[in-house]
Amino acid sequence: MQTYDAHSLPENDNVNSYAFSIALNGRWFVSKGAMIAYYGNVSFDAVTTWASRDAHIAGKFSSPIYIQDWVVAEGHGKVIVGDRGFDLQSFDLEDGNLTIRASNLVGFETGLELKQSIVPGFVTLIGTGKFLASSNGPVIFAEPPFRADPDALLGWADCPAPSHHYDAQWMSASLGSMLQGMFGRESGEERQFDFTGSGTILIQSTEVLREDPALMRIMEQQTALLSPQQAGLLGQRLVARSQQA
Amino acid sequence: MPFEVINKKVVRAQVSPATPVLARRGAMLGYEGAVSFRPVSGHGQGVGGIVGQALSGESNRTMATEGTGSVLYGFSGLYVTVIELNNDTLSCEADRLLAHDANLQSSVEFIGQGGIKAAVRGAMTGQGLFTTRLSGTGSVAVLSHGGTFDIPVRGDVVSVDPQAYVGHVGQVQVDLSAKVGWRDAVGRGSGEAFQLKFTGQGTVYVQASEQKF
Amino acid sequence: MVTLTADRRVLHADLAGETIRAASGSMVAYTGTVDFKHAGMGGGGGFKAALKQKVSGESIKLMECTGSGRVTFAQDALDVTVIDLANDTLAVESELVLAVTAGLTLDVKFAGLQGMTSGQGLATTTLSGTGQVAVMSDGPLIALAVQPGGPLVVDPDAFVASTGNLTMNLVSGVSWKSLVGEGSGEPFSLRFEGSGTVFIQPAER
Repeated sequence: MQTYDAHSLPENDNVNSYAFSIALNGRWFVSKGAMIAYYGNVSFDAVTTWASRDAHIAGKFSSPIYIQDWVVAEGHGKVIVGDRGFDLQSFDLEDGNLTIRASNLVGFETGLELKQSIVPGFVTLIGTGKFLASSNGPVIFAEPPFRADPDALLGWADCPAPSHHYDAQWMSASLGSMLQGMFGRESGEERQFDFTGSGTILIQSTEVLREDPALMRIMEQQTALLSPQQAGLLGQRLVARSQQA
Repeated sequence: MPFEVINKKVVRAQVSPATPVLARRGAMLGYEGAVSFRPVSGHGQGVGGIVGQALSGESNRTMATEGTGSVLYGFSGLYVTVIELNNDTLSCEADRLLAHDANLQSSVEFIGQGGIKAAVRGAMTGQGLFTTRLSGTGSVAVLSHGGTFDIPVRGDVVSVDPQAYVGHVGQVQVDLSAKVGWRDAVGRGSGEAFQLKFTGQGTVYVQASEQKF
Repeated sequence: MVTLTADRRVLHADLAGETIRAASGSMVAYTGTVDFKHAGMGGGGGFKAALKQKVSGESIKLMECTGSGRVTFAQDALDVTVIDLANDTLAVESELVLAVTAGLTLDVKFAGLQGMTSGQGLATTTLSGTGQVAVMSDGPLIALAVQPGGPLVVDPDAFVASTGNLTMNLVSGVSWKSLVGEGSGEPFSLRFEGSGTVFIQPAER
């Protein structure tokens, strides 16, 4: 078994499939809780505190919904990051853009700019730099035309945003039989994200169900579109649902 | 056409009109081509099969993949082991089946002692387990927590914790044995008071965990 | 001598009449003739150790496996690493000990951290002597050297074990407070100084 120190740890490369060693010499955006160990002189401060320190840095992180889940790592040293034991992979963007599931983004260089995608739960990285993504099992790359289970979709680059595809046979089979009631919860086969055009699609084994703190903030923001009466109705339905569970 | 192992958690199957695939519902990750999915109710025939399905909660978990194209399967981040059957029989618990060649024959059986009555009792008390038998020639993808390792059975007795048991292939006899004092020695779950004893000629697949999913 | 062989997420122990101690309930398969017996808390150390366990809330449930044959151990699909100790001491999170060969003495040691409230048991189990210990980790174990003048900071949730002449301190600077919130992020971290090796896992417990 190899024993690493500050010098022998990889420079911006994986330590193993599940851990990545950042050779920090400046600043990185890092997801809260991703740091598992470090050597050197490194500080971790909330992105929100950077608004007053360096507006340029804070401006790179253009998402009020996710900002509270991120910190800026600053200094010199080696920072090892991991994400719940998931596979970790680094990607380089060169003057490009890539959209990724927000809960799978673990860190990115400050040369990249983060914006919220119009697809809920996803963010888009724009510019040049390295970013780290976690996935349940190694990432699988596919090219359009391709249809992906929404839960297995990790992200996409260069191609147009996906649209919904409904499997007609599945729908009619489930509607036309006694199975009907059992499909209240989606299984992924009745509805897919349909990718067309040209680009790359990133797939993972599955998105393990976990509470994304940002999801509720997204939903709440969306309810601003509702009239007060509709909002009240939705509230009643949600209360009913929570009492059923 | 054999399943292609993409990585530790994902397999790819080529589907054609002559070779449809049966898979666990919710296991499709993505696909290319003109492929469609249809929920089907469980497999297995005969009274034993029906009783087995009802008790093992095995029905209504399956879907057929039909058409022409290639499909990625994976489920809940679990590890996948592909087993190629060549005129052979695999036994494993139904909820461990990720996907298999629809041309394989399937039936349900109970591992434990004696008859349907014992099976009913066994299912209630957790003593013994239902398995699906797949026979013929084709690919099977099996789910496990953390991957499987295989133990050859060559006459000597191989003992396996039922909670870590994944499946077995070949001419293998299975017995469920209760060991006095075993529960005290190792008991975490009640299942650990029992061991599965394998004899004959074949292979047993075991996972590195006692967690059921 | 017992041979312990780690194979990713399982541990094989080839016994030829000897006894080893392993985490209760961790046997997944065996061939040959092997007896399993409950060995109590800590499997030794006497009343004093038992008392300390009670105080620190650390418990380690072991069983004794005796016989001849191959026993395979595994737990929760965690990765397994075998660490050889030659007249040395390893401090390890109690819940991450999978198996211990004869010749190693178990004890519970207070890490001496005041005001730790997270419930993470940093009052670790210590194993001393000469023998082998199989340690579990969520993902492959990573060994990190600590040298004089080159301290190492570790997330307590990623800490697995350590050896050598190390001092451990809590770091909870102002900057760390910014990491708290919404149930994620770590309010403090562990700072190791001295010389030795720290073993971490690539996942938070």
